Amino acid sequence: MQQYFIMRKAIGFLSLLAILSGCTASMDEPPPSPTSAYVPVYYKQENVYAVKAEAAKPIVKAGKQYVLGNLLLQNEINEGIHLIDVSNPAIPKKLGFLSIPLCTEMAIRQGFLYANNYDDLIVIDLRVPADPKVVKRIEDVFPPANQEYPPYFNVSFECPDKKKGVVVGWELKNNIQASCRR
Amino acid sequence: MSTKPILSSLLLLVLMVVLFTSCTKDSAQSTTFQGQGGSTARFAINGAYLYTVDASQLRTYNLTDPANPNPVSTQDVGFEIETIFPFGDKLFIGSTSVIHIFSIDNPAKPEKLSTAISPTVMRRCDPVVAKDTVAFATLRAGGACGGFQSILAVYDINDITKPVQRASFGLNEPRGLGYADTVLYVCDPPGLRMFNIKDAYNPRYLGDLTDGDFYDVIPYGNLLFSQTKTGGFIYDISKPAAPVKLSQLQ
Repeated sequence: MQQYFIMRKAIGFLSLLAILSGCTASMDEPPPSPTSAYVPVYYKQENVYAVKAEAAKPIVKAGKQYVLGNLLLQNEINEGIHLIDVSNPAIPKKLGFLSIPLCTEMAIRQGFLYANNYDDLIVIDLRVPADPKVVKRIEDVFPPANQEYPPYFNVSFECPDKKKGVVVGWELKNNIQASCRR
Repeated sequence: MSTKPILSSLLLLVLMVVLFTSCTKDSAQSTTFQGQGGSTARFAINGAYLYTVDASQLRTYNLTDPANPNPVSTQDVGFEIETIFPFGDKLFIGSTSVIHIFSIDNPAKPEKLSTAISPTVMRRCDPVVAKDTVAFATLRAGGACGGFQSILAVYDINDITKPVQRASFGLNEPRGLGYADTVLYVCDPPGLRMFNIKDAYNPRYLGDLTDGDFYDVIPYGNLLFSQTKTGGFIYDISKPAAPVKLSQLQ
């Protein structure tokens, strides 16, 4: 008899455990609904501080522009800056591309270019536009944002993985089993 | 869990929402030849000074040696700071809910003049340009500032700390804007709208350029540089109301 009770208790306990563990899973995570969720978009490059001059290339994702004299700067969102000679505005001539990871903003003063390179502010000597040189880096001027979760409330999202790099955006996708929510 | 981490993470959430949704493409360009960052810029140059903002601080650097920005002052502004833009002879510093207006009469040490609650005044994330005592801004429904109307708004800024809306014009999905002489160019995909603003509080619609989905414009002397999603166009605006396409940026 006693054994029976112990058995019953054990079974009860076990089933309670099972239910509870089932519950915890569904309380920690949203029900893995087949609905849409946000997925982090990682910056592809490992070294986000590698700035280099490259050959001219096509504009793909145009960001801000900045004009000074005959020089037009065309930001390539999160990639860098196209340097374009517009002395003949009917035939703009690309001088080259400055690869600056996670760059979105720029300004020029007295031949020097100021730009954001991820969380740093960098100064580039552009007095010879064909031969740009990084002359200064001021660290941690722009603290990064949106690394932990998408900028929306009441949404499911794929938990970001720091090892995968810097999160540059969040994409809404269908049929994602998102385990994070806010 | 104590309430502090919850509060701070909530704050962070709010900040990030705003940072992320801030209209990075909605840069407002003035016609000054110095060139200017966007209305949602994180840094701005004015004269020999460079100003940056992070979540809570305004930092000032002297650029007398342009290769070597020299930090000259740091000020706590408040929190949830997200954007900075020079406006007239002031610095506007936008947070998630307010705009702090700083005087840069002493450019090495900006001084706070007032704090206006957004969106009672021009909102922090709306592209805006100033012409004398008038400011033109585009408000976009569903944009970074939220809101339910997409309009061109015209403000009286005789007192720059207290802009008063004087006129509005309905638009589709407006973004950046700029002006040359008496013509205002407003990016309003799928086109670029032109207004005669000789009578500033009564903008007169002139027509559209339909070469692309325009995001922003920079009038620069006789040229109009425009930004589209994948590049842009350069126009001759010797006759501001009749731009002539010169080339495409791609």
